[in-house]
Amino acid sequence: MIRIVTLATYDEGDITHLSKTLYRAFGVGTEHVGNRALPKKAERDDGRFDAIKLLADATPVRAYSDDKVLYITDMELAIPKGPLGEPPAWGYAEQGGDRALISTFRFRPRGVTEASIEVFRRRMARESIHFIGHLWDLHHCYDARCAMHPSWSPSLPDDPEFELDAFCRDKSERRVRLAKT
Amino acid sequence: MVTVGAVRTLGKRERADKQEEASSPGGNIASSADLKPGDRVVYPKQGVYRVTGLEQKDIAGQRLEFVKMSREEDGASVLVPLGKVATIGLRRVATAGDIEGVFHFLGATYGDPELDWKVRHRDNVERLIAGGVLGVAEVVKGLHSLSRLRPLPAKERELYDSSRHLLVNEISVSLGVPDVIAEDYVDFALMPPAGVKLPLRTPPTPVELKGPPWKRKKAIVAEDDDLGLAELGIDLGAIEGAIEGAAEGAAEGAAGGEESEEGEAEGTAPAAEDGAEEGVAVPARMAGKVAEKGAAVKVPVQKAPAPRKAPPPPPPPKKAAARASPVKKPAPRPSAKPAARPAAKRPKPRKGAPAKKPATSRLARPKKGAKPAKGKKK
Repeated sequence: MIRIVTLATYDEGDITHLSKTLYRAFGVGTEHVGNRALPKKAERDDGRFDAIKLLADATPVRAYSDDKVLYITDMELAIPKGPLGEPPAWGYAEQGGDRALISTFRFRPRGVTEASIEVFRRRMARESIHFIGHLWDLHHCYDARCAMHPSWSPSLPDDPEFELDAFCRDKSERRVRLAKT
Repeated sequence: MVTVGAVRTLGKRERADKQEEASSPGGNIASSADLKPGDRVVYPKQGVYRVTGLEQKDIAGQRLEFVKMSREEDGASVLVPLGKVATIGLRRVATAGDIEGVFHFLGATYGDPELDWKVRHRDNVERLIAGGVLGVAEVVKGLHSLSRLRPLPAKERELYDSSRHLLVNEISVSLGVPDVIAEDYVDFALMPPAGVKLPLRTPPTPVELKGPPWKRKKAIVAEDDDLGLAELGIDLGAIEGAIEGAAEGAAEGAAGGEESEEGEAEGTAPAAEDGAEEGVAVPARMAGKVAEKGAAVKVPVQKAPAPRKAPPPPPPPKKAAARASPVKKPAPRPSAKPAARPAAKRPKPRKGAPAKKPATSRLARPKKGAKPAKGKKK
């Protein structure tokens, strides 16, 4: 089961849409656990939040062994700087673990029009599938139409697809099947 | 015999071991004495393991010693015989310096990927085993660049995924960051975001793989340069000079060339037309043209229909020659058409006896059976 925990206030329609999309993508039940407070300890000097620390300090929710927990925040995230620089952080997940985090900070503003809301929801669904995919041991995919393609890739369109490609879907299905207790 | 066999087997093994050792880059573990409990090693194509200790086991009546290792990722344990430690390609986890070189390698532009899948697959497998961390990075980069040209086939897609997994795992262990972050670093180097310029340095050179000659790229390049034509007595320089001279000559004498081409075209076009016409034309019409233009023009005509359409005419009787001669005199075309008609009638007299009067001969045929004989008798 996938449990969604919001660390900011989101529209109920957005969360419902996300739940349905995650169910379609992984075939696993999804529910919104509720709102939790943002761990302030994870905030850095530059005002951004350390993604690894935030996920570690986030309030735990009751879950079974195979459950995956997805935290959603609207704060800007940061990850440690690499040898070639710091990649933009859209979220973070424990590879093969059970907790993931996404940030809506880099999304286009939700707006009030149906079109802008739709784009916002689609992007939210994509990033959620991406980071939950990491929880199922999926790696990044070279196909820009796949949700596992890196979120900052220049070949990614403004309104990207939120489906997994055949390889990633098969792999995630295998993992889900193996993980089911 | 047994001794010889055993010696031979050992020789083969030693050779294989030496080959593998020679093909391994620096950082490889040469013997089991280099390993201590708690050491982190990379098992080729498997991942990062931690040495847990030595273990003795009785197998088939022999007491064997093994190095016991457990994979950090999932805790899977593996036992490696002490004698095999040096040959399976175990190596130390790459240092931070090595990993930095890997990122510079990933960020650098990549040449054209190998398009022959057999060569590519064997190279990739060999790199994963003996190429070190840079070899793994090379596989990832090579398949990634290939995926930009076309989607990878299933087998290579799996190889891409597993090699990416190995690379990410080693980077995360080496840099002490979680796997997802390590993968972000890899993709940041492979496909940086728009507007980001990576501070790249000269990438390290991947380990040269030792393998069959056809696999050695440098050797192949050298072979390309020297084709051994000198041995055959062929001077490429002279040929190139001749080609250049011919090209210059063609450029200079373009006008003359055009003329000559036109001449050729004029010379060939009618022949082609004739051929086309004659290919479709009735044999009789052809015969008429022979009469008009002469045999010289008809030489280039397609040969295939010729034997069908131009059966060797029997020596024309005097009357046939007399008929042809009035046709020849009126040269213009209108005369050719009427000429064709009588020509079409020619085969008929051929079938029958070349009698003086075809009409009479036709009449004579039925009579041949009975009546004419009677008449003649009469």
